[in-house]
Order: sequence, then structure tokens, then C-alpha cells
Amino acid sequence: MTLGKMAWRNLWRRKRRTFITAFSIGFGVMLTVTFTGTGDYGYTKMINAGAIMGLGHVTIEPRGYNQTPALDKRLLKAEQIREQILTMPGVSDAIVRIMGQAMFASARKTVGGMFMAIDPAQDSAEQNLLLRSLVHGHLFSSAEGRGVVVGTKMAEKLNLRIGKKLVYTTTDIYGEIVSEIARVVGIFETGVDEVDGAMVLLPISSVRATLHYGVQDATLVAVIINDHRRAKSVRDQISAAVGNPQREVLTWKQTQTELAGIITMDKSGNYIMQLLIGLLIAAGLLNTLLMSVLERKREFGVMMAVGMSPATLFRLVLVESFWLALIGLIVGIIITTPWYAYLYYVGLDFSGAIGEGYNAGGVLVDPLFKIRLYKESIIAILAGVFSLTLLSGIYPAWRAGRIPPVESLKVI
Amino acid sequence: MEHQSIVHLEDTTKIYQQGKVEVCAVDRLSLSIKKGDFASLCGPSGSGKTTVLNLIGGLDIPTSGRVLLENQDLAILTRSQISAIRRDRLGFVFQAYNLIPVLTAYENAEFVLRLQGVSERECRDRVMAVLKEVGLEDLENRRPDEMSGGQQQRVAIARAIVSRPAIVLADEPTANVDSATAESLLDLMQRLNQDYGGTFLFSTHDHRVMERARRLICLKDGRIETDEVRR
Repeated sequence: MTLGKMAWRNLWRRKRRTFITAFSIGFGVMLTVTFTGTGDYGYTKMINAGAIMGLGHVTIEPRGYNQTPALDKRLLKAEQIREQILTMPGVSDAIVRIMGQAMFASARKTVGGMFMAIDPAQDSAEQNLLLRSLVHGHLFSSAEGRGVVVGTKMAEKLNLRIGKKLVYTTTDIYGEIVSEIARVVGIFETGVDEVDGAMVLLPISSVRATLHYGVQDATLVAVIINDHRRAKSVRDQISAAVGNPQREVLTWKQTQTELAGIITMDKSGNYIMQLLIGLLIAAGLLNTLLMSVLERKREFGVMMAVGMSPATLFRLVLVESFWLALIGLIVGIIITTPWYAYLYYVGLDFSGAIGEGYNAGGVLVDPLFKIRLYKESIIAILAGVFSLTLLSGIYPAWRAGRIPPVESLKVI
Repeated sequence: MEHQSIVHLEDTTKIYQQGKVEVCAVDRLSLSIKKGDFASLCGPSGSGKTTVLNLIGGLDIPTSGRVLLENQDLAILTRSQISAIRRDRLGFVFQAYNLIPVLTAYENAEFVLRLQGVSERECRDRVMAVLKEVGLEDLENRRPDEMSGGQQQRVAIARAIVSRPAIVLADEPTANVDSATAESLLDLMQRLNQDYGGTFLFSTHDHRVMERARRLICLKDGRIETDEVRR
């Protein structure tokens, strides 16, 4: 008779209690999966949405541009850098862009805003939220010409429609004020007022000419990667390949600090919530295991009287916790799977509560809450719940080993 | 003196604290149990019988004096060392059988051997032999709740003797069984004593046990009142 077998049988002496305890562990698994899964899914969506708003997961830009963006800071040979980066593992795309501030004027009004100069041959709806959000017209067909795409809010403010003229004024590489005329070819609507009211898409070659940039120059190369969690390693890799004192390679956490801050804060809240759930479940487990030890005091006294050492008794109770943890995890997997599948495929629609245009850190938040777990999260949850159950068993196990046989037996 | 006896109590006193009152359960008692003894402690309730067994079994420690088991002073041993002595050198038979409810008759009898680290094959041979000895070879797979009181006590005896201990301490072993079962249990223990030279020390009120004991030690107020050796 091994300790494992004995512990297993002990567990089933009170089936109802074992089932209730296993269900409480299982319920803990379900809650943790829900919290972690919505986090994994939501953060990924937000980070990817942030990335396709212009800067990518990793950005190569002139040194100092991130702190004080100005058009006199140029990334020389940006196209060449892009070609190099595209061959790197983990990189799904790299797009050369010029981003800067400008004044936009129509016959009616002038407003301040941002422009993003792009090459239609490089940019696509997949990598650019503004292109994905076109509601009228189309994107200019080449990197040259005078086409412009504006947001709905800016169109409203400036009374613009397809075919209307727009004048943009900015500063060139010499710090001189330069202006150019463009004609509206498309209108986008992302749902984020700050974007729809201030962002404008322009053809990159025309902007280069206006700003007196070289034919390969830009302000940044936005790098889209397959997995945002690898941003740091991809950054290091890119930095090693193309880095020099005039350039810097930054991750989304460095270029989108507001978004990174929101995610960090949300994650912390999530962890605290999970910790509280864990503590509540652990307290329940501790109570159950302790009760099961105390009600077997006499039996433990007999075991010690016939020669079981306190250490072996400690191990016996700990093995019972081990089995309980295992059963709890199995129950957890069984009850969580349908719930997970529902949230994975269908999700919970919170559009009624938060509306369609809710954004965090300037990034649109999808009101449809879905769930997705990273592999490492699954391992962390299973290991966490398992360890917590084992830890809950330590004190009862220690108590079992400390029971004086003469007191528990009363009479031998 | 010490080297002739398996158990030697030397001027042993045990005082319990019951609330604010001190109760002297064993009072400066000296006693030796020799190898092969079939001895019984008798006396009224509160005379100290159980306490003496507890002290010999290392389940309790004396307030003063010494308890030597095979010349080893139990008071100076650690908890694990005492556990090892109980495992290797002592056998216990309890009044309420005290079998482990989740184990079968075989597993209960095997329990001590497994703690000793005896191999499975040797366990099998020894346990089956001892179960045959106590007449339970056909009930090896029964759990305690599937056996009568007498059968459970036989399993308890099997568990106590399977590791060939230096001494078996039996507390009221016949108290919870009917007369016929009590007689057969006593026959069994007597046979084990005579055939294998096993040493038995009982604590009892049962006159049948006292009649069969070859040495009868009567206690009163924690002291030996009479110590009679019979032929």
C-alpha cells in the first residue's frame, strides 16, 4: 500500500466534501481563465489596434523623434531599412511612413491635425486602421499626386466632401513653412473622435517633395510583428541589424506610453482580483483539509503509535492535497471548457453598456468581449491553482504530524 | 538488571495536569518485563495501567524516572527515533481495534512492514503467514467495516506481531468482543507466546486474561500492589 493509494482512498471517504472542494477549485479555474483570457484577448486586440494606427509594434525612427516629433528629423534610407527588416523572423510587415503635424484649411475653416504620408503600394487595410475604416471614396492610387483621405469629423469641420480641395501647411526639413494643395479622394471613420477629427492620409512621394526629403527618406518605419509579446526581442534584433547613433528602435510600449500605462494598470487590477479569488479559495481549501485532519486525529494517533513517523504523516496529508488539486483541475477543465468555448466563439456584447466608440489611450476598444488564452497563461493558471491547493495542504499536513499520539488515542 | 529485561521502568513517575489539579497516574514505579513474559497489568480504573503502557510504548514521557526499552532510554530520543522504535520494536493491540478504515485486512497487517521498507514480495509472504496464523487468510480483502469485532481484533493482533516486535502491548484486547471470541483471541496470543517466544504485556479488567497471564502485576494508585509470577 503506497502513500498515494492510501491518500486517494482517504479522499473518497467523504465523497460529497471532496466533490464540493473539487468544484470550488474548478470554479477558481473558471474565474481565473475568464479574467486571464479576457485580458490576453483584450490586450492583444488593443495592442494590435494601436499598432495599425500608425506606429506598428516596433518603430524605427530618428533619435529623439519620439520625445519631440518634428519633421526636420528624418530617417535616411528608410526604404532600404524596410527591405532589410522584411526578411527578419517574426516580422509580418514593415511600412515606411512620414508622420507630422500640419494645419489643414478649406474654404470654410482651418484646423490643426496630424498627417500620415503613406505609399499605397506598401500600406493595406490590414496594416492601417484608417484604410480599413474608409466609408466614402477610395485611397489615392499612387504615392504621388494630390489625393488626400480625411476623417469624418475633419470633413464635417472643414465642410469637405469627395472632390473638394484641402490645403495643408507644415514645416520642411529646413524649418521653413511649406504648403500644398490636395483634393479629397476618400473619407474614413474609425469611431475614435480624436482620430477622425485630426488625422489625414497623404501620398508619401508628394509629401517628400513638399518637405524636401530625399526619395528614400521618412520619419519612421512601422514594423508589424506576428506576436506582440515578442516586440522586445524583435526590437533588439532590428536594433542589432540596422541601429546606429542617428536612429532608435522602439517598442509599442515606448511609443504608445498611454496605452501601455492603461494595460499595465488594468493588468494589475486583474492580478489583484485573481489573487483575492485565489485567497478565498485557498481559505476554503485550508478549512476543508484542516477539518479532515482534525476529524482523523485518532486514526493518525494509531498510525503514529504503530510507527508512522510525523514526516510520513505530513507526506500523506500532502499527497491528499495533491490528489485534491488534480481532481479540482480536472473538474475545472470540464466546467471551464464550454464556458471558454462560448466566450471564444460568441463572446459577450457590451456595446449596450460602453457603446461602439469607446477607446482607451486613443485605441478603439471592441465592445464584444471575447476570450483567448496564451499557452503560457494556461500553464500559469494550472500551475497556480495546483500550487495553491498544495500550499493550502501544508498547514493541515504539519498539524497532522504534530498531533501527540497519546492525546489522540486517549487510551492505547 | 537492565540487560535481562526488554522493558525496565526505573522509579518512574507520571503526573498529569488536569486543569489546576495535578494527578499522579504513576508513582515512583519500578518494573521489569522479561523476554517471553506473558504478563498482565490489572487494577481498578485510574490505577495507572494505561499510563504504564503509554510510557512503555513511547506514547508519553515520564515526569521523572526512566523508561528503558531494550536498554534504550526513551526520554532522550527524538520524535522520529521514537517512531522508529515503535515501528521496529513494539506491537500495539488496542481495545477499540483501531484498524485503518481505508485499508483491507491484508493492508492493515502489512502497514508496519511497509513503513519498515520491507519488499512487496516479503510483505506478501509474511502477511499471509500471519493472517493464516490468526485464522483470517480468507478475509484478506475485507475492510474493517466488513468484519466482526473479533475478526478486526485478529487483524490488529496480526498487525502487532507481523514485524516480530520485542514486545506486544495490548490494552484491554478482549473488552469489546464476546466470550467465545475473547477465549479464541487469548488462545491465539498464548500460542504466539509459547510457539514463538513473543513477549506480551496486557492491561486488563478481564478475569480470563488475568487467569491466563503467567505474571500478574496489580496496580493501585500508580504503584505496584502485588507482582505475582505463576507456573
